[in-house]
Amino acid sequence: MSAAAPTRLSLVVVWVGAAVVLGSLLFVAQSAEGALDDPDQAHQRPGFLDEGDLPAAAPDLPGDALEGGRPAVVFFERPRRLETLCDALADDDLDRRAELVVIVSGEDGECAGARLVDDPNDELAATFGLREPNDGGPPVGYAVVDSDGRVRYRTLDPHAADDLEEVTTIVTAVP
Amino acid sequence: MSTPGIRETRESLRLCAWCLVAIGAEIGFYLSYRGHDARYHWFTHFFVGGSVALLVMAGVTLRTRRPVPLPLLWILLAHAFAMIPDFLFVGGRVHERWMDLFLGHLSSHYVPGRNLTWYVVFLGCLATYLAALDHGRTKAAA
Repeated sequence: MSAAAPTRLSLVVVWVGAAVVLGSLLFVAQSAEGALDDPDQAHQRPGFLDEGDLPAAAPDLPGDALEGGRPAVVFFERPRRLETLCDALADDDLDRRAELVVIVSGEDGECAGARLVDDPNDELAATFGLREPNDGGPPVGYAVVDSDGRVRYRTLDPHAADDLEEVTTIVTAVP
Repeated sequence: MSTPGIRETRESLRLCAWCLVAIGAEIGFYLSYRGHDARYHWFTHFFVGGSVALLVMAGVTLRTRRPVPLPLLWILLAHAFAMIPDFLFVGGRVHERWMDLFLGHLSSHYVPGRNLTWYVVFLGCLATYLAALDHGRTKAAA
């Protein structure tokens, strides 16, 4: 070792400093998770297909909303946020790659190429296996169904409308 | 010819410059993950990559009896290696199981205790590296 080798005290200071700084950052980051995020972040936007017990047969939707024969993205949204999602879908070409369904309480009809499915009791997300968000309300996120009608991906994602490119990446990977 | 004092100052400045580069790069990585609402993933890959780097650094230190040069750069490079699947994802390639080759990129998220566990592991690896430094220092003094 050179004459400038660190003292034992300085090594202890480095360790304690790293513990405090990184521990604080970790605490702040975990505290910053939102009400619509997954309480267990490992399951939010994992980025790979067939996590956990997937693939699984997609549940039936009211009015046979899932026609099959091509991949589908089933969004789960809350009524007051619906407009943002519809605006984002209108600006994107995701509907050219997949059938789009938006499940939301108290709405039906269409938005930006997506079929709206009314879910008055907020029950449908659970049938797709979406997890409960931090606030305990209905999940906000999406599931991707392949052309054989199997759920291949699902996640809570309150910012999906801001990053449809990520949804496109997932859709592109399913047959 | 430069005196030993000037040489040491230059060496310290060079080390500081590399420290700033490494810290700046880590802040850039963090902001990019934060932009994608994925802070959790940054922490996992930082702790895992950093832990592996620190263990390698400890081994090298014990073998050579010298501190490794540019220590933060080792951590940065290991972190970047663990992040490679995320770079590919941004390029449009979904994650696949084989990408666990990048320091457990997928499975590292699912350890019990999640990031708190990796935080403790990282601190243990840091302690190991610092102990290796101290071991070399006391050997040299003896």
